[in-house]
Amino acid sequence: MTLDYTQQHLIKMANQIAENMPSRENVADQIADHMLRFWSPSMRSDLAKIAVEVPGSLHEDVLTALTASD
Amino acid sequence: MNKPIEVDIAALDLGTPAVSSDTQITVHIDGKPVVVPAGTSIMRAASLAGTQIPKLCATDSLEAFGSCRMCLVEVEGRRGTPASCTTPCEDGMSVKTQTSRLDKLRKGVMELYISDHPLDCLTCSANGDCELQDTAGAVGLRTVRYTQAGANHLDAVKDASNPYFSFDASKCIVCSRCVRACSEVQGTFALTIAGRGFDSKVSPSEENAFLDSECVSCGACVQACPTATLQETRVIDLGVPTRKVKTTCAYCGVGCSFVAELRGDELVRMVPDKQGGANEGHSCVKGRFAWGYATHADRVTQPMIRESIDSEWQVVEWSEAIAFASDRFKTIQQQYGVDALGGITSSRCTNEEVYVVQKMVRAALGTNNVDTCARVCHSPTGYGLKQTFGTSAGTQDFASVQHADVIMVIGANPTDAHPVFGSRMKRRLRQGAKLIVIDPRSIDLVRSPHVAASEHLQLQPGTNVAVLNALAHVIATEGWIDEDFVQERCDRASFAAWRRFIELPENSPEYLAEVSGVAAEVIRSAAAVYAQAGNGAIYYGLGVTEHSQGSTMVMAMANLAMATGNIGRDGVGVNPLRGQNNVQGACDMGSFPHEFSGYRHVSDDAAREQFAALWGVGLREDPGLRIPNMLDAAVSGQFRGIYIQGEDIAQSDPNSHHVEEALKAMDCVVVQDLFLNETSKYAHVFLPGTSFLEKDGTCTNAERRINRVRPVVPPASGMAEWQVTCALSAAMGYPMEYASASEIMDEIAELTPTFKGVSFALLDERGSVQWPCNEQAPEGTPIMHAQRFVRGEGQFVTTPYVPTDERSTRKFPLLLTTGRILSQYNVGAQTRRTDNTVWHAEDILEIHEADAELRGVADGDWVEVSSRAGSTRMRAHISDDIPAGVVYTTFHHPVSGTNVITTDNSDWATNCPEYKVTAVEIRPSAAGM
Repeated sequence: MTLDYTQQHLIKMANQIAENMPSRENVADQIADHMLRFWSPSMRSDLAKIAVEVPGSLHEDVLTALTASD
Repeated sequence: MNKPIEVDIAALDLGTPAVSSDTQITVHIDGKPVVVPAGTSIMRAASLAGTQIPKLCATDSLEAFGSCRMCLVEVEGRRGTPASCTTPCEDGMSVKTQTSRLDKLRKGVMELYISDHPLDCLTCSANGDCELQDTAGAVGLRTVRYTQAGANHLDAVKDASNPYFSFDASKCIVCSRCVRACSEVQGTFALTIAGRGFDSKVSPSEENAFLDSECVSCGACVQACPTATLQETRVIDLGVPTRKVKTTCAYCGVGCSFVAELRGDELVRMVPDKQGGANEGHSCVKGRFAWGYATHADRVTQPMIRESIDSEWQVVEWSEAIAFASDRFKTIQQQYGVDALGGITSSRCTNEEVYVVQKMVRAALGTNNVDTCARVCHSPTGYGLKQTFGTSAGTQDFASVQHADVIMVIGANPTDAHPVFGSRMKRRLRQGAKLIVIDPRSIDLVRSPHVAASEHLQLQPGTNVAVLNALAHVIATEGWIDEDFVQERCDRASFAAWRRFIELPENSPEYLAEVSGVAAEVIRSAAAVYAQAGNGAIYYGLGVTEHSQGSTMVMAMANLAMATGNIGRDGVGVNPLRGQNNVQGACDMGSFPHEFSGYRHVSDDAAREQFAALWGVGLREDPGLRIPNMLDAAVSGQFRGIYIQGEDIAQSDPNSHHVEEALKAMDCVVVQDLFLNETSKYAHVFLPGTSFLEKDGTCTNAERRINRVRPVVPPASGMAEWQVTCALSAAMGYPMEYASASEIMDEIAELTPTFKGVSFALLDERGSVQWPCNEQAPEGTPIMHAQRFVRGEGQFVTTPYVPTDERSTRKFPLLLTTGRILSQYNVGAQTRRTDNTVWHAEDILEIHEADAELRGVADGDWVEVSSRAGSTRMRAHISDDIPAGVVYTTFHHPVSGTNVITTDNSDWATNCPEYKVTAVEIRPSAAGM
């Protein structure tokens, strides 16, 4: 699947959050909370679609976070 | 519109500065008792007692000098006639300021001054505003026995090289006030008295013209001059002002108070306000002189619309422009939903103007897609300080720096970007405070007259967090933690976790030296200075925030301050130097998509219901899109219309090509601004904005100081900006009814706990106030977190260093970092339309000699600068201010378009762009653009 600019940017932002989350404990929970507080619903749903349609594009903790916030 | 406050023209000059002392003494001035702090001069005590002693070389912004011999007095029990400016009061002292002996002495001295001064008072530009003239009157001078037939300076050549003021040496009395102002107030030391005796004269640098000297045109010398020697060109051309209005500068986050002086509706000059809490009578070249853009011929003062961005603009009535915009916005809502719209607020606008825009977006457009230009500068400050301290604001007032023992400047260049605060800082450094600079560039503060950094940590761009972690590692492992402060004031569990993290070997200076480029011993030395010198204060700028780890770095600084107990009193703190004069205010006003005013999250039911109830409309509980997300969504077709208040995102935001693509993709772009700009090339509606001279409202500076912006002249477009926003909101079906800007502030105060006590009446009474201002702090809060942190206990956060993706490669081997220059401001929309262009007519690329030589680039050559995002051309300047491997430029000019080459990398938490690290290559270019 070819990703457009917006999708590539979303993947980058999400993975960056996973890598930078200060506490390395419960990273997935922190990512979920961060996205809930700072990301719009449309960004979260677009990322959830990417998770399904482009396997391997997202950090493992991001995938867990998306599952947790379903 | 509120009635402007008329300034007290007779505001006293007390002659010498105030003295601070716990001991009060009583002196008698001409028999009248007056109580003053010990150490106060006789001159100041006399002024406080209501007696003005004649003076020429003395003014209360400068230390006493004792050269003019006009202020002589008699002191009971003492011989002679001492100068009252240099003689301190003693308890029980009895002073006579008027005796026949003093009259004779003063007249004699005055005669000598006048004997070498042009007798052209009636045609002099300072007629009626001249201390020499006033003093001659005060001493009763009637005759001058010495003719001008002898040697004199009356034919001295006038220096008119500076565009804003001239130096007429024939009128100079060599009182040294200008020289002392340049040294003591500004701290530039550009002026001196050259020669001796009769040959003494004021000399810029080494007898250069002002324009060619080290003078930074701050205006302090002009302000200090008691005659017409140093005089504003506008006063010479137009005459002495006849009315005055107090207001606030529209440039940087210092937010200086000024007195606008006019003749009728024509602004003659802007004079820094001595009572201004932020600037205390000082100014810089921008605020003092660079306001001519407000009446520039490029101003657009009539609304315009066009069907498409390829069409010509049509000038229309306000009603037609508003109807056109609202029709398009409604169509977009119907076709794509409410979240296809959004807005951007501006830090160049007042709190009231910003507040109504975010209200319109949330209430009338029905979306939380509102953001502000702080997204691209200090959004990590908001995130980082809220996580650690509990609120999104700097901790200190500016005056606090006078109590600092060590000052750590990180990623900021105060002498260029925040010059008036830079001068305050330099004053403290000259008094002996130590300085640590953390910056890839050797900024002026590293070494300038009478100031030198004890440590300059010249790190590689993108390694801030590594360096801060290394500093904290040393402090923790050397036992320099303030254990008492941490135990009493901070969350112990988070501190314990942080301590375990920071003491890891991978955070040691030795481990991180290679990645950061800073030698371990330099880090260790800087850590000792910061932790052990007493009061440690951190000041930082966009060199901290505009990184992929901007938010992490803000938290790392907060950790460092808490660990060393440097929070909650004068002389310490963590202080963001905000870029624009209302960055703090725009953030406070609820401009972020996830927060209402006062930084309350939109998901907070209590806060949302409070807003919904007062606004009479349902509000969304999910965050909206941030600026980069809006642009991304526009490119993918989901986001179709935007209201842009006072921002030029096509020039200021990163990856310009992407921004342009996004704007082109929208069906309705509404720009509200002073001038057609890069963004308006893609706009369908242009709504004329108001300059700061036309606004009525408030701004909040970097120290949380809320200042009044008062209308100096009427709006050139006929409408205040908030009225335009309200008109559009009404057309969208949601009327916002305000009779004045003051009423908007009343609503802000009602809805915002930290502003609860703020009103225009309070500000008019007190001059300014620093938030929080409420029942607990009715007079405001200069120092935050004094007893407890806003969040209760200070929260330590672990800050692992994660390198940025933007790294030098074989294709792009250099790292570009960007910044500002003194004479220009941000995208240059204002300053490029002033005479400030004589100092900076174009953006210049600074490159190290080794990198230039390797590429065959000579000083002044045109070069092509390329990154993975794009390329541009500019001239190169060989500089040793930057290390090899790093290049630097400014972003003030659309022609060079620096942001064509910056990338879409951003801070992980806030999406603040990573302007400070772009991998580039430089090649010689045959010609300019």
